[in-house]
Amino acid sequence: MWSDSLLIVFISICTAFLGEGLTWILVYRTEKYQKLKVEVERQSKKLEKRKEAHGDSLDKQHKKKIEREEERLKNNNRDLSLVKMKSMFAIGFAFTALLSMFNSIFDGRVVAKLPFYPISWIQGLSHRNLSGDDYTDCSFIFLYILCTMSIRQNIQKLLGFAPSRAASKQGGALFAPPPAQFK
Amino acid sequence: MSSKNKSLDGANKIKVSESVWKKTLTANAEWPDKEEFLDVIYWMRQAIGIILGLCWGLLPLKGIVGLLLFVVVNAAVIYFYVNNFQSIDEEEYGGMWEITKEGFMTSFAGFLVTWIIMYTGLHGNDSL
Repeated sequence: MWSDSLLIVFISICTAFLGEGLTWILVYRTEKYQKLKVEVERQSKKLEKRKEAHGDSLDKQHKKKIEREEERLKNNNRDLSLVKMKSMFAIGFAFTALLSMFNSIFDGRVVAKLPFYPISWIQGLSHRNLSGDDYTDCSFIFLYILCTMSIRQNIQKLLGFAPSRAASKQGGALFAPPPAQFK
Repeated sequence: MSSKNKSLDGANKIKVSESVWKKTLTANAEWPDKEEFLDVIYWMRQAIGIILGLCWGLLPLKGIVGLLLFVVVNAAVIYFYVNNFQSIDEEEYGGMWEITKEGFMTSFAGFLVTWIIMYTGLHGNDSL
């Protein structure tokens, strides 16, 4: 059982590197992506600073400027996600195939013993395709998801591919309804 | 020329990472770059997650107690580090909640993986 769980950790490390490598080849190293990324980051930081400085002021000119910059940032962000999207689809397909292959290899096998009873809506995942009523038995998919959650993000951050905080903060705000003062 | 620049870049990077380590371990250090401080918090969280996972697996701690104790210890260490050791003004970072959130899910996942694996290897045949 232990060798199975260690093997799953190893598999998820490999797939995380493979995924990042493929994304690097298809996206990160392209000039278009790099240009857009720098641009989005620069604009996000600028916008944040401007908002901090004039957040409460009612000056119409400032508001208009901020609005215009937000619009520009929005467009750049959209372009950035478009550049990413195509390759993400390709990688997504490849990984679904890989996952189903591993799923069939580990089908019905208890790969680990959980030190806790999972709550009911997680049991479907942690006890997937396992026989018996012992819910502390762990299936492949649950351990794989946990490994991927921790390993993939750390690798992204380590290699510097994770989006910067300023960009994701501004990006997140773009999908929210605009605040009343900017309407 | 470009190789010279590259080697200079590398040297600079090493210097920067050295100073980050130094700042991390110095009480009340200056953090002009917010991102840098949040990165330190992030990686500290990951290390805490893995260390606690190893400890909980070795002990072994089980059930909801293990999960809750992780959340409490993790938050407490970061809170203590930010407030007492570095004396950071949390409002600058958007409140304590923003700092508490930083890298929590990833650290939780890392903790679960190490806890489950240690527990499986050492106590896999025990019943809960």
